[in-house]
Amino acid sequence: MTLPSYVARRTLLGVIQVPLVMCGVFFLAEALPGDAAVTIAGDNPDPAIIAVLRERLGLNEPAWHRLGDWLAAALHGDFGQSLVGPRSVVDIIASAAGPTLLLAGLTLVLLIPLSVGLGVLAANREGSRLDRLITSTTLGLYSAPEFAMGLLIVTVFAVQLRWLPPTAVGTSLLSNPAVLVIPVFVLLLRPICSLSRLIRAGMIDAQRSEYVRHVRRIGLSPTRVRFAHALPNAVTPAIQQLARTIDWLVGGVIVIEAIFVVPGLGTTLVQAVAARDLPVIQGLAVVFATTTVLVNLAADVAARVLSPTAEAGR
Amino acid sequence: MRVARRYAVPGVLVRRYAVPGMLVAVPVLLALVGPVIASDDTTKDVAFVLGGGHWFGTDFVGRDVWNEVLLGGRSLVVVAVVATVCTYLIAVPVGLVAGMTRNRLLDEAVMRPLDLLLAVPSMLMLLLLASVAPGIPWVLIGVVVLINLPDVVRISRAAALSVSARPAVEAMRLQGESRIRIGLGYVARAMRRTLAADLGTRFTGAIYLVASASFLGVGVSPQTSDWAAMVDRNRTGLFVQPWAVVLPALLIVMLSIGVNLAFDRWLRDRAMEGVAR
Repeated sequence: MTLPSYVARRTLLGVIQVPLVMCGVFFLAEALPGDAAVTIAGDNPDPAIIAVLRERLGLNEPAWHRLGDWLAAALHGDFGQSLVGPRSVVDIIASAAGPTLLLAGLTLVLLIPLSVGLGVLAANREGSRLDRLITSTTLGLYSAPEFAMGLLIVTVFAVQLRWLPPTAVGTSLLSNPAVLVIPVFVLLLRPICSLSRLIRAGMIDAQRSEYVRHVRRIGLSPTRVRFAHALPNAVTPAIQQLARTIDWLVGGVIVIEAIFVVPGLGTTLVQAVAARDLPVIQGLAVVFATTTVLVNLAADVAARVLSPTAEAGR
Repeated sequence: MRVARRYAVPGVLVRRYAVPGMLVAVPVLLALVGPVIASDDTTKDVAFVLGGGHWFGTDFVGRDVWNEVLLGGRSLVVVAVVATVCTYLIAVPVGLVAGMTRNRLLDEAVMRPLDLLLAVPSMLMLLLLASVAPGIPWVLIGVVVLINLPDVVRISRAAALSVSARPAVEAMRLQGESRIRIGLGYVARAMRRTLAADLGTRFTGAIYLVASASFLGVGVSPQTSDWAAMVDRNRTGLFVQPWAVVLPALLIVMLSIGVNLAFDRWLRDRAMEGVAR
């Protein structure tokens, strides 16, 4: 398959995935006990009020009809109104996106150099004490849940030693960057472990390969061999893993925001689920699913470009 | 393992598995034996007390932290084990059928919907589905199965596909063996190694998901004792009484690190066995 047709096929899959996920979320919301009218009526569920609300919200129309309306509105960037407040869903998501983007962006920016560095460091001293230390640490920490690691780190560094603030309550993330240190560190732990292991394995394979031995024989400097010739090949499996990382990052951000009381998308989602605020849940699901689809698409295409011989992706 | 037993003195085996073994044994023993030896005495003391006749103080409503730790591990371990077993029970037959069928349409019909599941971030799926029926462990198990399903189906399909391309399978087919006999008697058996290699990843993944979900208040009812839920509920007293958070958090971290290390050692020993043969 040529590159353009691969990209076209992959893009088509992504374009189909998003609306299907949207339909899935819609019907899941339908399955929730109670509906918007019950949620708005709140603690005082008078059947007459609920009936009026149902009529006004158009909830008596058939489900497929409402799905069509919702999809059409969503296409125009309108996800409706929150049930528990006066704000629109788009407004809520837009104001919560800042802190989440800051957390996730900072994590991604630090993730790549750190994991490449660790992986190359371990691969260069394969079998040494340092390598064994790096590999067993990354293997162990790779699956530790963020909330448990996060709270252990907070207990030591924020509560006992008092080096860093324990939560982000009362300050903005940008004016007090110290608040970000522990959350970003905890978010980095899991992806760094998996990526650096892949890069280490890839580097070791590449260093032993015929073409690297050849460029070494030509007399290129070891640094040049390592970074200009071995590393690009070692990075390809890591790029695929980077796409899986976005899934961890979404999960990690939800948990980390809950621990550190960051007013981002994760906190909004947990609150919306607790309050049964369906339009907000649906809007956030669309945002998260679209991001995942886009990142997967980009990673598959990048892996294909970097190593055209490998059957990248599906 | 077989080689390790044959060539290595038992001391080597003990040394290789001592650290991961300890890391797994402490939380698992506490989880399984804990509920038996925990006291039924649920008299409440003052909340967030350090000491005062309690080994590790009291929690947010004044219960003994050590007693809660004894009670709270079982749900995590049992739910993670059941979810992993259920994943394999569903995914392997599906992957076997998709990998062995020569009907392209059937293969696509099984595999394409799974691509769709991959587009939904797992924690989002967990929160969404669990909000449909909160507080029931079976829902949590179902969600964890659903999240792990695409990967395990893919792996078993790929394994079945490569095994069923072997000449032996072709020969059996020519001899008129039924597909079910070939599938169960040969292909499924040949797939065991590949599936076992993946088991550790799935199990640690299940522990991760179950613990994170319970922390976010999904799948545990307010009365139950649960390590992850303890971490969440006692967070408010972190400055006064850190033990109520640290102890369960430490046990969860130990469990996931230990399981990971143990499976890795085991896989490496098995790989060496493969080389030796």
